[in-house]
Amino acid sequence: MNAMVVLILSIVGIAAGYGFYAKTIDKQVIQPDAKKATPAKMYMDGVDFTPAGRHVLFGYQFKSIAALGPILGPIVAVQWGWLPALLWIILGTIFIGWVQDYASIMIGVREEGQTFGALSYRLISPRSRLILITFIYFYLWLIMGAFGVQVGFNLLTNPAVPLGVIFVILVGILAGQMTYKWKQDIILTTVVTVVLALVGIWLGTLPGVKSLFSSLYGTAGGATSPTWFLAVTQARFIGTLLVVIICYFGAVLPIWRWAQPINYVSFWIVLLGIVGGLIGLFIWRPSMGDFPAYTTWTVAGLGPLWPILFVTIACGAISGWHSLVSSSGTARQLESETDALYVGGGSMFLEMFFATMAFLTATVAFGGLQGYKDAGGGAAAASVFSKGLAAFMNQWGLDKALGEGFGVAYGAVFLTLMALTIMYLVVRFMRVASAEALGDRFPVMKNVHVGTIVALILTLILIWLVPFLQIWVMFGAANQLMASLALLLVTLWLMSKGKRYQWTLWPFAFMFVTTIGALAFKIYEAFVLNLPNAGTKHGALTVGQYSTAQVVIGLIAVILMVTALILAWDGIKAIRRYQAEAAAPAKP
Amino acid sequence: MKYSPGVVEIARKLRALASALGDIVYGATIYEMVRDLQKERGRIERLFVLVVFGDFLGIPILPPYYALQLLPYVVPSIETWKTSLLRERDLIDLVDFDT
Repeated sequence: MNAMVVLILSIVGIAAGYGFYAKTIDKQVIQPDAKKATPAKMYMDGVDFTPAGRHVLFGYQFKSIAALGPILGPIVAVQWGWLPALLWIILGTIFIGWVQDYASIMIGVREEGQTFGALSYRLISPRSRLILITFIYFYLWLIMGAFGVQVGFNLLTNPAVPLGVIFVILVGILAGQMTYKWKQDIILTTVVTVVLALVGIWLGTLPGVKSLFSSLYGTAGGATSPTWFLAVTQARFIGTLLVVIICYFGAVLPIWRWAQPINYVSFWIVLLGIVGGLIGLFIWRPSMGDFPAYTTWTVAGLGPLWPILFVTIACGAISGWHSLVSSSGTARQLESETDALYVGGGSMFLEMFFATMAFLTATVAFGGLQGYKDAGGGAAAASVFSKGLAAFMNQWGLDKALGEGFGVAYGAVFLTLMALTIMYLVVRFMRVASAEALGDRFPVMKNVHVGTIVALILTLILIWLVPFLQIWVMFGAANQLMASLALLLVTLWLMSKGKRYQWTLWPFAFMFVTTIGALAFKIYEAFVLNLPNAGTKHGALTVGQYSTAQVVIGLIAVILMVTALILAWDGIKAIRRYQAEAAAPAKP
Repeated sequence: MKYSPGVVEIARKLRALASALGDIVYGATIYEMVRDLQKERGRIERLFVLVVFGDFLGIPILPPYYALQLLPYVVPSIETWKTSLLRERDLIDLVDFDT
């Protein structure tokens, strides 16, 4: 199939999903009222509640939901063949993805900007708030592991990449200084910092710089980086250390000094990459070659198509992260109820388009399945994307050597920055969560540095110990489970208001059964398939280390499954309660 | 020079599109920074009102002598201030980059 046909299919999906289904639900079920005051207007305090225009909020929402999820998920999932991955991206978004994002905003708007914690306390049961927060902590830990392993093990171990990333960070700090301290014009700041960032990425590709990092990584002269411990080579150790140091500063420094200006410069790098890749794709118009529509039911290292594919592609079709951003962030800034569909649904459909582009980097950029495998395959999804993006951008007519060298480094820096944007936020969250939970018993946990270091050590354990594909599937399962819990909350809310709820109930049922199935499979895989056979399956690890990794991943799956089942049990009881209330005769 | 209504309409739509794209880029970039500054100001204001008018909430603060002079300026936002100050928060609030 040609790449243009895929893009047209996704545009048709957007037209049908947004233009017909979403608008029908919006008008007939939710019935937004432009005259009704939103929490942003009612409680405007300049802190939590601030109204913003629809287009501004669309940009904010999209920036907040787009990270590595929609990029890496499709690249990993094409191992089952391109057809199941593409169908899930398009149909998942049309029937489930936008539903969750939009409904999460509307529930926040109609319930005075309450968070999911407060809503679950009220709509499900008092204990569900604590369970939800515990669940979210593990979920965020998995985000750190999944993103950290790709950045630390894959992207930064390319000697052409680290200098570019360090340069962009330094330039980001300069952007903060120029904006907040020197009070420079934002356009001047943008031009200076983005040009410097591009120069920095190019400098990283120079032979001298690459040989410097190759020496640091122990790969000079084409040598293999020496293994230090577990499966951690010298290069991977330095790569993960860089990630940890960057995240540490992102978590302890004021937002204006580190995270925000770096994110600002990163946005332009990412935007230029997307636009550049898209233009290259239109010039090239490649086909998938011999890439099969369907390969096999069970992919080694991942599992069976159902349920694992549906958690492998998370953010590109549906993501629990979106529900947190929508309910706690966007819902408190919505100026008018009628903006919710455009902001929530619209940005989800745009993310679907983004996921389709990532899907194309894996399926068309390398001429077929073997090319995809040679580029790294699912286990090195980040490398596949950076190489695929470089292949698209090379269609502009750049010198091939320059285009490939710069393009791959650019793609890798692009992905690293996207991952770091979310990782700063997650470390901050983990730090505050541990201070809240343990601070009274262990006052040292209230210390900013201690909380951050604990969060980062937990992250390192996951990155160093557990193979990427296992972390990714677990992250996807937790993400989709979060999404299904959000859909459960929305369903209960609709029932409590006497509105039609089938459009959220069935997506909830599908996502819940699928993700519980995925977690059950991971538990089975860890404790039944892998642990007893550690002697033959341990690969580069020792038997003890491999067994520990299986126990860690199996236990996380058990914890997530138990918390989700308790929440679902309470949720089903709440559904029955609301159904009984609806069936009861009205009191005179 | 007079343009036909069709051209004027196209120009208007193009201007609206450019403005929307500008807003989207603003929302994805600088908006977060601006909002953070607004939040900082909002927090300081909230604290200032608490220090001066904390007795409204039963906090044993001896109102300073200028409290009465400031009262007319504070009255319009008293309800919002109370809601903002007393609103129950949990960890999920932090997702909005509020740490």
